[in-house]
Amino acid sequence: MLERIAYNVLQVIVVVAFAPLVEGVVSRLKEIIQSKRGPSIFQPYRDIWKFLHKDEIVSERSSWIFRAAPYVAFAAPVFVTLLIPVLTRYPLFFAFMGDMLGGGFVLAFGGFFATLAAVDSANPYGPMGASRTRMVGFLAEPVFIVVFLTVSFVAGSTIPYIVQTHWVAPIANFFEPSHVLLMIAFLMLILAEDGRIPIDNPSGEFELAMIDHSKALEYSGRGAALMKWAGAMKFFVLICIFLNVLVTPWGLAPEGGGPIAVLLAIPLVLLKIFGFVLVLVYIESSLAKLRLFRITEFLGAAFVTAVVAMITRLSEI
Amino acid sequence: MSSPAFPVIAALDALTGALFLLAALGVVATRQVLASLQLFILQSLLLTLSAVLLGIALDSFHLFAVAAITIVTKTLLIPWLLRRTVSAEVYRTREIERALNIPSSLLLSAVLIVLAYVIANPLLAAVTMPFAAINLPLGLAAIFLGAFTIVVRREAVPQMLGLLAVENGVFFAGIAIVPSLPVIAELAAAVDVPVIALVVGLLMRQIYRRLGTTSVGHLAALREQ
Amino acid sequence: MELAAILVLPVIASALSLSPLGRRYAAPLTLVSTTAVLILAVDVAALAAHTGRVDALDGWLTCDGLGALVLVLVALVGFTAALFSWGYIAGRAGHPVHHVQRYYGLYNLFVLSMLAVPLLANVALMWIAVELTTLLSAFLVGYEDTAEALEAAWKYVILTTLGAVFALLGFLVLYWGSRVAGLEPFTWLGLVEAAPRMPPALLWPAFLLILVGFGTKVGLVPMHTWLPDAHSQAPASICALLSGVETTTVLYVILRLFPVIGGAHGLDARPWFIGFGLISVGVATLLLIYVRDFKRMFAFSTVEHMGIILVAAGLGGTEAHLGAAYQITGHALAKSFCFFAAGMTVMAVGNQDIASVRGLIRSSPLAALALVAGGFAIAGAPPFAIFVSELVILKAGFTGGHFIVVGLLALFVVVAFCAVMFHINRMVFGIPDRSIAAPTIPTSCKLTLAFAAIPLVVIGVFVPAPLLGLLRAAAAAMGG
Repeated sequence: MLERIAYNVLQVIVVVAFAPLVEGVVSRLKEIIQSKRGPSIFQPYRDIWKFLHKDEIVSERSSWIFRAAPYVAFAAPVFVTLLIPVLTRYPLFFAFMGDMLGGGFVLAFGGFFATLAAVDSANPYGPMGASRTRMVGFLAEPVFIVVFLTVSFVAGSTIPYIVQTHWVAPIANFFEPSHVLLMIAFLMLILAEDGRIPIDNPSGEFELAMIDHSKALEYSGRGAALMKWAGAMKFFVLICIFLNVLVTPWGLAPEGGGPIAVLLAIPLVLLKIFGFVLVLVYIESSLAKLRLFRITEFLGAAFVTAVVAMITRLSEI
Repeated sequence: MSSPAFPVIAALDALTGALFLLAALGVVATRQVLASLQLFILQSLLLTLSAVLLGIALDSFHLFAVAAITIVTKTLLIPWLLRRTVSAEVYRTREIERALNIPSSLLLSAVLIVLAYVIANPLLAAVTMPFAAINLPLGLAAIFLGAFTIVVRREAVPQMLGLLAVENGVFFAGIAIVPSLPVIAELAAAVDVPVIALVVGLLMRQIYRRLGTTSVGHLAALREQ
Repeated sequence: MELAAILVLPVIASALSLSPLGRRYAAPLTLVSTTAVLILAVDVAALAAHTGRVDALDGWLTCDGLGALVLVLVALVGFTAALFSWGYIAGRAGHPVHHVQRYYGLYNLFVLSMLAVPLLANVALMWIAVELTTLLSAFLVGYEDTAEALEAAWKYVILTTLGAVFALLGFLVLYWGSRVAGLEPFTWLGLVEAAPRMPPALLWPAFLLILVGFGTKVGLVPMHTWLPDAHSQAPASICALLSGVETTTVLYVILRLFPVIGGAHGLDARPWFIGFGLISVGVATLLLIYVRDFKRMFAFSTVEHMGIILVAAGLGGTEAHLGAAYQITGHALAKSFCFFAAGMTVMAVGNQDIASVRGLIRSSPLAALALVAGGFAIAGAPPFAIFVSELVILKAGFTGGHFIVVGLLALFVVVAFCAVMFHINRMVFGIPDRSIAAPTIPTSCKLTLAFAAIPLVVIGVFVPAPLLGLLRAAAAAMGG
């Protein structure tokens, strides 16, 4: 039991430590594709370090929400990490504390709090970006729900570890049409939730066009560091859910493997994430950002893909 | 239930079918006319793939013939015919107005897909053919989606592609339920598709020349007031 | 042998029309070919009425009573419309010679495709022939090259091809069923034989798909939206072909299904036939009241009559089927005549709007007379054939006990009669708005009217014995 708690804590440490690295790799790769040199992959760490050592300026007119938001936003992905399979295939100590819906709620809570803080700041671009984020959020909800319902129905449970055992572990399932379609739908969802192209431009600085990044506009110093880190961790967590629960359990430590297997799982999972990053960078570099009202069409297509996946799976049962 | 006799081929066929359906959805939903055409070509390729898979499984020469005919007519001949008969400008158009906006069309498409499964179930319960459980509902869904495309789209080329997509759906269902179609019927259907494309393409050209637009959905002069 | 000749002659005529020879002689060539086809068709029909079935080419071509009836009607209207085209098309301004050549080339092929439908034994080939009737007539519908004509042609092609593809799925399911029943050649005769062995769960969806799919081509409501446009924008000779015989040809296919379904256990096609038929008649009647264009009026009348024929087939029994066969004949003759009259009116007046035509009897007496006669004939007034056939159908329904159906049908028919006569009266009588110089109507058009009028008038009063034999054979084939 002590082992399981230890592994759980190790999971959290891995997420917290490696999330900025993934962000760094993504930016570097995008720049390389554009024939530029790009910043070092450790640049996000340096940015966070820099922010932590700067003064924080907080508006007098803002309330406690503004001050608390960075901490809430940072804590949300940490909580979710306790619930999902990051390094191991078997459930760990906190695995039954909440299921996928619970994890989704917690992530949404973090995002919601950050959105509130953006409104709180009275910067004109804050609320604009906040309302757009909410629009994307509520359009993405049906997709989440259909995806989770389908996989839970098949697995007979909503706990991520159990879903993983029934959904992805049998290798024949990989080519199932519902599997492929759900992958496509969830990928579109990640692009939407995390503010990647084609929904939003993560490296743009033009406030009028920002959707997701406007929530971090007003922060400085420690707040900025925590918001940046929180964004990176949310991305990492979403990728882990996608890869480990929905796509393939490759690289995760099996039951009874002991500490060596778990430690070995860290580079293997990072390698898997790197593969995904390659796909993501390809998508981001080949598409253009959608106009705001076309986002409904994009998410509508994701919804219908998920529904088709659900139909094809359920009609075989 | 996937056929227990050919598990690998059944799984691949199911995958092909799902992507086939997605391509049909794409033809309904994409704005760019050129993108609709490319998705239609993709759909025809997937039909070919399914025919080849079923031909291998059921050891039927006719299905290979269907696959060959589909590749030649739908992926090569029809785009070539369209390029020749319709001017290049038509391909650069995007559809600004539709009869129904894209998210609503997609939702209705999802309803149509469910309807197709509901309709196909009694048919499948009556008689079992090895791959009918996969191909029949998906083919039927593609038929409904193609008909829906004709209703929803206003531009001429997508309407025609909807028509041909319905034919794709019919063949997708057909290769599973009648794997040994009489050769006459295959040949005849092979002739039929290019003739349709030719006639419709020439008509499109005439419309474009005479009216300056291919937005056929907007032609509504004939009506009782 | 004659069956093959019937199919080969139009091909030769079409090829010759498109060749340089056709520049001057396309019209006469077509006329000669259609005359020859008519003679051959009458010959075949006489044989079929006598022996019950004619076969050729090792069973690939076959013709029984119902098929022979449709064959003769197609050949006859093909002939009269070709005669009418000679003058009408030559008189249309703005069409260069190669347009005219293309017209005749397509005309011959179009007639060929319609002739092929009752003759082909293999069901799959027959589907191809039905498809071809649409594709070959697409450019004929759009011949006038106006915005409305092209719109009509587009809707025509897309909607009817969509229907035909639906019907294709129906035929595939039918084939599936026939394979389960162990049948090899996919012919109508074989299907009727194998029907009891086919699983009903397959036969029923196939039937529905074919009814809805080909019903689109027949013009059954609610798939009729293309029909008034296509049948009013085409040149009058093509309208005569489309309304008079093309819809009948596709209806023939649907009627062929009736004995197949009848042979299966526990399936009943009759309510569907009656339901679709009644709805079509009702909606067509309603639209007839509001129509504004006289060619559209005749097109709606086609929908109405197709509905009546379908109801008659659905009522079942020899009497009703005989009435249906008679109605098919009367409708083909009367409708083509109506469109010839409409064509003459268009030549006299210049447009198709009912409201703008007044006092036709003064400005163009021949057109007016033809219009009145045609209107009476198609609306079902005595002494024309449709009156008799409708009476037969109503009586058959009455004696069969379907009182509601008969009551509704009678109501619709009466209302449609009043609507058509009201519109025609408005056009024919009254004071003309302006003095229109009566244009010269080509001789061939006048000849056509004369030719077409003779059978129209005769058949209403007296059915010659060979024709009666053919009608009885057709009714027998319908009943199965």
